[in-house]
Amino acid sequence: MKNRRAKFAGVFLLGTLAMMAPGARLVLADQSDRAHQVGAKLKCMCGGCDQSAAKCYHVGGQYSGPCDVAKQEIKEIEGHIAKGKSDEQILQAMIAQYGPLAYVEPPKSGFGLVAWLMPILLLLAGAALVIVIMKRWRKRAPATATAAPAAAGVNGGIQVTPELLARARELAKRETED
Amino acid sequence: MDVFGSFALVLAFVCALYAFGGGIAAIITRHPLLIKSARQSGMATCGLIFVSTLSLVYLFVSDNYSVAYVVSHSNRDLSTFFKVAALWSGQEGSLLFWSFLLAIYVFSVLFVYRNKNGELMPYVGVILAGVQLFFLTISNFVASPFKALGVANAGGAFDFVARADGNGLNPVLQYPEMVIHPPNLYSGYTGFTIPFAFALAALLARYPGEKWIHLTRKWTMIAWCFQSMGILLGAHWAYAVLGWGGYWGWDPVENASLLPWLTGTAFLHSVMMQEKRGMMKVWNVWLVFLTFMLCILGTLLTRSGVVSSVHAFAQSNIGNWFVGFLCIVLGVCLGAYFKNRDYLKSENQLDSLVSRESGFLFNNLLFLVACIAVLSGSLFPVFSEWFTGSRISVGAPFFNKVNIPLGLMILFLTGVGPLLAWRKTSLDSLRRNFQLPSIIALLAGIVAFGFGWREAYALICLILCAFVACTIVQEFYRGAKVVRVRTGADWLTACVDLTLRNTRRYGGYIVHFGMVMIFIGLAGQAFNKEVEKEMPVGSTLKVGNYELLLQSMDQKQEKNYVAERMIVEVMKDHKPVMMLYPERRNFPTNQESGTMVAIYSTLREDLYVVYAGINPATSQPTMHAFINPLVKWVWWGGMVVVMGTIVALLPNRAAVVVLSKAEAPADARELGAMRPAQVALREGHD
Repeated sequence: MKNRRAKFAGVFLLGTLAMMAPGARLVLADQSDRAHQVGAKLKCMCGGCDQSAAKCYHVGGQYSGPCDVAKQEIKEIEGHIAKGKSDEQILQAMIAQYGPLAYVEPPKSGFGLVAWLMPILLLLAGAALVIVIMKRWRKRAPATATAAPAAAGVNGGIQVTPELLARARELAKRETED
Repeated sequence: MDVFGSFALVLAFVCALYAFGGGIAAIITRHPLLIKSARQSGMATCGLIFVSTLSLVYLFVSDNYSVAYVVSHSNRDLSTFFKVAALWSGQEGSLLFWSFLLAIYVFSVLFVYRNKNGELMPYVGVILAGVQLFFLTISNFVASPFKALGVANAGGAFDFVARADGNGLNPVLQYPEMVIHPPNLYSGYTGFTIPFAFALAALLARYPGEKWIHLTRKWTMIAWCFQSMGILLGAHWAYAVLGWGGYWGWDPVENASLLPWLTGTAFLHSVMMQEKRGMMKVWNVWLVFLTFMLCILGTLLTRSGVVSSVHAFAQSNIGNWFVGFLCIVLGVCLGAYFKNRDYLKSENQLDSLVSRESGFLFNNLLFLVACIAVLSGSLFPVFSEWFTGSRISVGAPFFNKVNIPLGLMILFLTGVGPLLAWRKTSLDSLRRNFQLPSIIALLAGIVAFGFGWREAYALICLILCAFVACTIVQEFYRGAKVVRVRTGADWLTACVDLTLRNTRRYGGYIVHFGMVMIFIGLAGQAFNKEVEKEMPVGSTLKVGNYELLLQSMDQKQEKNYVAERMIVEVMKDHKPVMMLYPERRNFPTNQESGTMVAIYSTLREDLYVVYAGINPATSQPTMHAFINPLVKWVWWGGMVVVMGTIVALLPNRAAVVVLSKAEAPADARELGAMRPAQVALREGHD
């Protein structure tokens, strides 16, 4: 039985996977792979599209291709690449030229660091809090757990009325339903 | 008709004022007639809002170009379908439309509970009237949709003028999905007002127990369902119309719609803690308050222009009003909480660290952290300007880096949580429930790696998706097996039977399955490809396995726009597959243009072709082609989520319980076994 179940699940999964195919990244025809990757981290500074230099489309405009500003930025990036600079150096050079707003992510220094650290710290602090809370709640549990059987011991010949039974059933149902 | 509509709007304001003031008086005096009159005034408010909204629709349909709002959002050549939709295409109309949807909810609540829940309803009525009052104030006195066009004459008075034609509707909005996306999303936003009103009412009325949760569960799920649909329809619209190849750009307004969804989802899960175990009462109340406030904040962000966004269609200075309202809501919530928090005593206790309870705690933590991360990211440029004086960009890469890990953790919990038992989960049951799914998930990962999935996140996502899907299938399999033994039905009937007997649980599984499908679709993003090329007629472009041949171009004059099309033959492995017609539409009325993307969509991948226009520098037509793997899974997953929610909303079909006669001592034993602290539940079974 177990075997059949595994087989079924396997077939299901393989079927799902068969529909997916491998893929390597292609890039815009007239951009080099690296220029595209670096350009995706920089904003198109034309002021009208709010997109990255590598993906400038001008939604709603008469022409939704890269605008001249974006093309110029990509060209400059390619110039930097030709000079043998590293990605980080290129980014720094571009940010120096166009201002801090040109970087699509907050900088990982200064005030920008707050944006990066906050979610992580929040998650850690939250997780710590949840664990503390759980431990505290757990301490309360044994008290009631031992109290109940003790009460039952004293009340050994407890009268089982239909109401009591119905209530117990209700409780069990409530706690097991979903 | 404009006078009629604006008069109805003023009357609605007056009625809402009475429902609010009279309602407070009714709560204080407890006079039955006063309670009744406040309720009826609340209903009348809704009726008047309906009338007012319909009259604005009539103004659009009847081409009344003496009303400023109609002039700026419609024109004669616009089809009737879009004329109706133009109602919510701008600031004033969409605010009225907001009131309209809220009125539908308010009316339903007041009507359905007119003879029930007497202790709670006067409070609910007052809170709802308060919210309505705010929106009616805006629609009446700040952003009236019925403003007439006029010019000042020599005497200083206004003469009405009517224009011959309007300025037309924004072309990106002239798309069928734009007609259903905003109503869905707004129905979500406004729907969260109902659980908010009940939660606050229960707190104010010191109404004990879980009643408000039982009463609002359906309303919350309806709002959540609309919100989910609204978000996905918006994403699909962005995908099919805007032509940038993606569907989610972490635009501030997209984020704004996600925030209440995240807290609303957290709430839908944590209410179970209260229902089943009497835990987390304070938390739940605040989650509902937070969700409602995030709805208002979302509206504020969209309309105030605080953050730059593609949704700039409705910006003005009404932001201050929303800030004021938000402060009042927060003040009322805090006041009510500190005054009556003693009534929220929870029975918080935990039997084990490995239990459904702890699963829900972490679920809530992750949703909240995701919510705060998205919110702070959206507002960070503003913060930065405040603190450092310079704005910085917080773009999609930031949101992806922060939210992908959180999303994956939530996905993991989706698989684990539902199979943990309440109170305590034994090691044995952990093994029983997770052994097979883990093995299959790992196998899936290995196979995917073999197929060339080398992006870490995509691979992890796929493994988790397989894991979660297996746990869900396993649950259905186990349940259906029991039903089959009892009824002898086939597997499908048994599954349906099982689902209908406990719609909430199995509906929930279906929703989870839909989320898994959405995550599969999201994972596909890691493998997107794109190519852009200037294309003289007769040339080809290669993207992935496809070759696109531009056969010719044509032009067609439509009623409201001029369509320019590329006629593209698609070949796969050198064999012709189909024709695609990516199109640009130029709207002469407002000198704007829009794209109609041509998409060849399969479960495996979308071929997405955009005609980007004529490059002004070279006078050549430009084509932009994308291969977007697995996108269809997102849309189908969304449909499954909606289906699951509908199933979960159905009432349970009563199971036929056959009770055998039992001796008294047996009953006593049964009772002993059921004592709360000793209940050893067999996980995953009823």
